Amino acid sequence: MKEQIQEILEEARRSIPSCESDKDLEELRIKYLGKKSSLSDLLSKIGTVPKEERPQMGALLNKTKKEIAQLIEQKKLKLHEKADASRALGLDVTMPGRPLPVGAKHPLYQIWEEIEDIFINLGFEVAEGPEIESEYYNFDALNTPSWHPARNPQDTFYLKGGKLLRTQTSPMQIRVMEKFKPPIKIISTGRCYRVDKMDPSHLPVFHQVEALLVDEGITMSDMKGELDSFIKRIFSADTRSRFRPHFFPFTEPSAEIDILCINCKGEGCKLCKNSGWLEMGGAGMVDPAVLEEVGYDPEKYTGYAFGLGIERIAMLRYGISDIRKLVTNDLRILKQFQ
Amino acid sequence: MKISYNWLKELVPTQLNIDEFCEKLTMFGLEVEEVVQPGKKLENIVIGKVVSVEKHPNADKLSLCKVDVGGDESLSIICGAPNVVKDILVPVAMIGAKLGDFEIKKAKLRGVESFGMICSEKELGVSDDHSGIMIIKQDFEPGTPFADAMGINDNIIEVEVTPNRPDLLGMIGVAREVAVMLNTEYEHPEIAFEESEVQTKDEISVIIEDAEKCPRYCARMVKGITVQHSPEWMQRKLVASGLRPINNIVDVTNYVLLEYGQPLHAFDYTKIKDKTIVVRTAKDKEKMMLLDDTELKLHSNNLLIADTEHPLALAGIMGGLDSSINDNTKDVVIECAYFDPRNIRASALEYGLQTDSSNRFERGMDPNGLIEVIDRAAQLIQLTGGGEISSGVVDCYPHKIEPKILTLRVSRANSILNAKMSVDEVKNYLNNFEFSTKKTSEDTFEVTIPTLRPDIEREIDIIEELARCYGYNNVESHFWINRIDNKQKRTVVRLTKNHLISLGFFEVNNMSFASPDDLDVLKIPENDFRRKVVEFANPMGEQFSIMRSTLIPDLLKNADLNLSYKFENFKLFELNRIYLKEREDTFAEPTYLTGVIVGKFDPFYWKEEQRATSFYDVKGIVESVFSKIHCSKNITYKVSNQPYYEEDSAADIFLDEKKIGSCGIMKDDVLKSFEIEALVLLFDIDLSNIIPLYNEKAIRFTEIVKYPPVLRDIAVIAPSDIEVGEIEQEIKSVDPNIIKDVQLFDVYTGKQIKQGCRSLAFNITFQSETSTLTDKYVDKLFDNIVNKLSLEHQIELRQE
Ligand SMILES: [Zn+2]
Repeated sequence: MKEQIQEILEEARRSIPSCESDKDLEELRIKYLGKKSSLSDLLSKIGTVPKEERPQMGALLNKTKKEIAQLIEQKKLKLHEKADASRALGLDVTMPGRPLPVGAKHPLYQIWEEIEDIFINLGFEVAEGPEIESEYYNFDALNTPSWHPARNPQDTFYLKGGKLLRTQTSPMQIRVMEKFKPPIKIISTGRCYRVDKMDPSHLPVFHQVEALLVDEGITMSDMKGELDSFIKRIFSADTRSRFRPHFFPFTEPSAEIDILCINCKGEGCKLCKNSGWLEMGGAGMVDPAVLEEVGYDPEKYTGYAFGLGIERIAMLRYGISDIRKLVTNDLRILKQFQ
Repeated sequence: MKISYNWLKELVPTQLNIDEFCEKLTMFGLEVEEVVQPGKKLENIVIGKVVSVEKHPNADKLSLCKVDVGGDESLSIICGAPNVVKDILVPVAMIGAKLGDFEIKKAKLRGVESFGMICSEKELGVSDDHSGIMIIKQDFEPGTPFADAMGINDNIIEVEVTPNRPDLLGMIGVAREVAVMLNTEYEHPEIAFEESEVQTKDEISVIIEDAEKCPRYCARMVKGITVQHSPEWMQRKLVASGLRPINNIVDVTNYVLLEYGQPLHAFDYTKIKDKTIVVRTAKDKEKMMLLDDTELKLHSNNLLIADTEHPLALAGIMGGLDSSINDNTKDVVIECAYFDPRNIRASALEYGLQTDSSNRFERGMDPNGLIEVIDRAAQLIQLTGGGEISSGVVDCYPHKIEPKILTLRVSRANSILNAKMSVDEVKNYLNNFEFSTKKTSEDTFEVTIPTLRPDIEREIDIIEELARCYGYNNVESHFWINRIDNKQKRTVVRLTKNHLISLGFFEVNNMSFASPDDLDVLKIPENDFRRKVVEFANPMGEQFSIMRSTLIPDLLKNADLNLSYKFENFKLFELNRIYLKEREDTFAEPTYLTGVIVGKFDPFYWKEEQRATSFYDVKGIVESVFSKIHCSKNITYKVSNQPYYEEDSAADIFLDEKKIGSCGIMKDDVLKSFEIEALVLLFDIDLSNIIPLYNEKAIRFTEIVKYPPVLRDIAVIAPSDIEVGEIEQEIKSVDPNIIKDVQLFDVYTGKQIKQGCRSLAFNITFQSETSTLTDKYVDKLFDNIVNKLSLEHQIELRQE
């Protein structure tokens, strides 16, 4: 009897998977599992088996039945799957496919990465530094006079214990220059803080990118050229920039950078308050006093530095007029940046 | 190009050993590709003296020789060559010597033993001669190594000659270059011979019809020569340079080609009709038969060397069959010419005839060096074949090609190389190259470039030569060192963000400020590290009185906001710093990755019911992040008791032994404090310890195992308090080399399973790297697994 059962199972294993239609499959089901099947027949003859072998034989019969039922079930699923995929009647190609999720980087960080990549392509290294800084790195080493209003607690966050939150990424430049000899060609990027009430154009927390290049023979032309390359890459090739004399403690000569209004191309509009120009940031040749402070010979080395606000660039690029939109984290906004 | 170091040393003396020499040569711009020592192949081959020759008792054509090879006893060697006689010196390959792939062993030839072999020239690779054994005419002590005796103990240096340097295609050109490199002198061969009464110009005339394609043509005559083998020294040098000796006339033209790089051609004088060589372009469809038996159909752009009737040679490419030297040639006309490189190149390309000659002409030979070359050829033909050299050279050179004169500014050279070469130094370098100099100011030279250097056309070309002399390695390097760049962190951050975004997460950006209340709401205990907060001296208000020490509250606020905008299922993350006070005046700013999964994990799909979210969804996210940034191997999970998770619904995450974060289902009452009623899964990971581990350069390819894996399933009933991770480890530990993978594929608890237990099924992959696993072996391992689980953990195999 054991051999017979085995034979039936082998046959079922061969015939079921090669079956092509529901009808054939149903026939096979009746053949193997129906009331008149050979398995039922064998079950009815179990009495003829010696008593001590009966339980074993019973179990084997059940196991075989179960396996065949499983084979039929699997085959049924397979047949249906195929039918589902090909059934022309039920197919509606406009119905949505299985949705796969697509998220998005925050627009600010998208711009940040783009800025980093532009500077990396221009040969800059990226330096990061602590946001919690000392007064020395944030002000003193940067040649900020003691009377400078930026040092006031109305402008700068001071922490219990005496440290402060950096108001710019420049302290990192000092840290790099202290540690390494020229040539230096870095950008420092990251969060900065200033005591500002939140309004459409101010946040107490913002992001900055600052470039620093120090080597022999670096001139103001290098600064203008490199900054202009950046501006043209982040906005568009026809974006012009200009430098206006200004005062920063750590550069001499210092300048503010304007770009031709990307909205009106200089005609005058609401965005540029009819001036035709947009203010982008500060720049200048590194003050000899700063170079001296880090132990460089200012007669031998010269350098430039410029700083830009990442929020400002993101707002201009995306046409966002309220800076606070960049920290609301509203999915109705974030989904626009997929 | 192959350079014999021995030959080179005849031209430029140097004490450098071969390795030092090749290093210098490469750094000077002549890149050494390979150095071959032909003498190496001749080990165990010595000079032997044949002491006696007897007839082989059993074979007529074999001789039984006794050969003295310097040892105590003479060797018995059987030789089949007809020219073996007593008292000659011969090369003997002793037992152990190798001739190509053939190793000499003791052998028995027709019943008599032989202890070596007397070799022919061909067998030794000295020449093609296989007519008999090689007989050595000079006197050597028996036992002298053959390679020493023959001067084959040479180094053949294969150098890559760049296409702009035709002057380096000859030994003398190389010697000139090496002399510059070593700041020393080199020698030209000494050329001296007697000329006969006969004037060459009376014997042969040359007419150039196309002076553009052939600016100069020189001819000389040697009369009454004998065509025969060239002398051994010449053959040896030809073989060393990769050429096959043929006869003295061909060998001399090849030899001079090797010396000077300048191709020559020799004609049989009697074949030149009307004693006149006409250099002309072919007529359309004119035919000629080349040396190699191919017939060409020519056209008017092909330059020919012809007599008054027939072509003699395809100029600069290949000679014709009719005019070539044969064994009976008595009078030879030597051609030494300068052809326009472009024309040679075009014709060679057209007929697919890239010969030694065309290859050189198309790079540009030296039009003003021809007389020395043709004299050298005449001298050597006379030396090897006798005869008389007619007087004078027939030199047809309608428009002399003058050397270029260039102006060099020393300051310009120094500024390009960032060097400080003095005017004298520069002059010395230039003169070594045989560039003559005339100082025209404190800073400038007028430099005359010999015509053998067609590559020097501008000031900058001269500066390149100076740079090579100055030494590229002596140029100061001025570069931006990668010493600050935060590439490692940037890479990990970007990989992580991009990965999460592709899983449907939105990145958020929150400000760094927080309120102490946030920590209370999260039920963070007083001794938790996140309580060591950074406080402002001048806060902007209570809501912003501290720097945030966790990103969780901000993310929950973001979730609440978006729920209020009717988003039901969404995923957010933030990757930013948190701020901690370490001591009174020192602070830490670790980088955290924190994310929330709000509502259902899977996006809604009309075809299916939306699946319920579970702990394993957030764990899956976390696992995939770790695997993306290559640290999965170091990560383990343990049940978490962070107060903001539901009980038994969260895991703490460990990097090696250090706890770096957690993930799990957030507690309802915590969520309520943020007014959230949805299900929220959270992960919160400190990346600061992971970033320094990231190393993309650590990724190495491993060869795919060629032996097939064996898959087996195991189903067990295990007490519920034993973790799956532990069971997987236990299974692997049975044989970690073979058990490659253990994958959970089924978990079941139900009425058939006894209380306090669960049924687990694993798929186990067995694979060996060294052999195909047999069923028997896998059965044994499987039994070991079952035994180990059962004996040590009371985990039983599930019975059907
Ligand atoms: Zn405007």
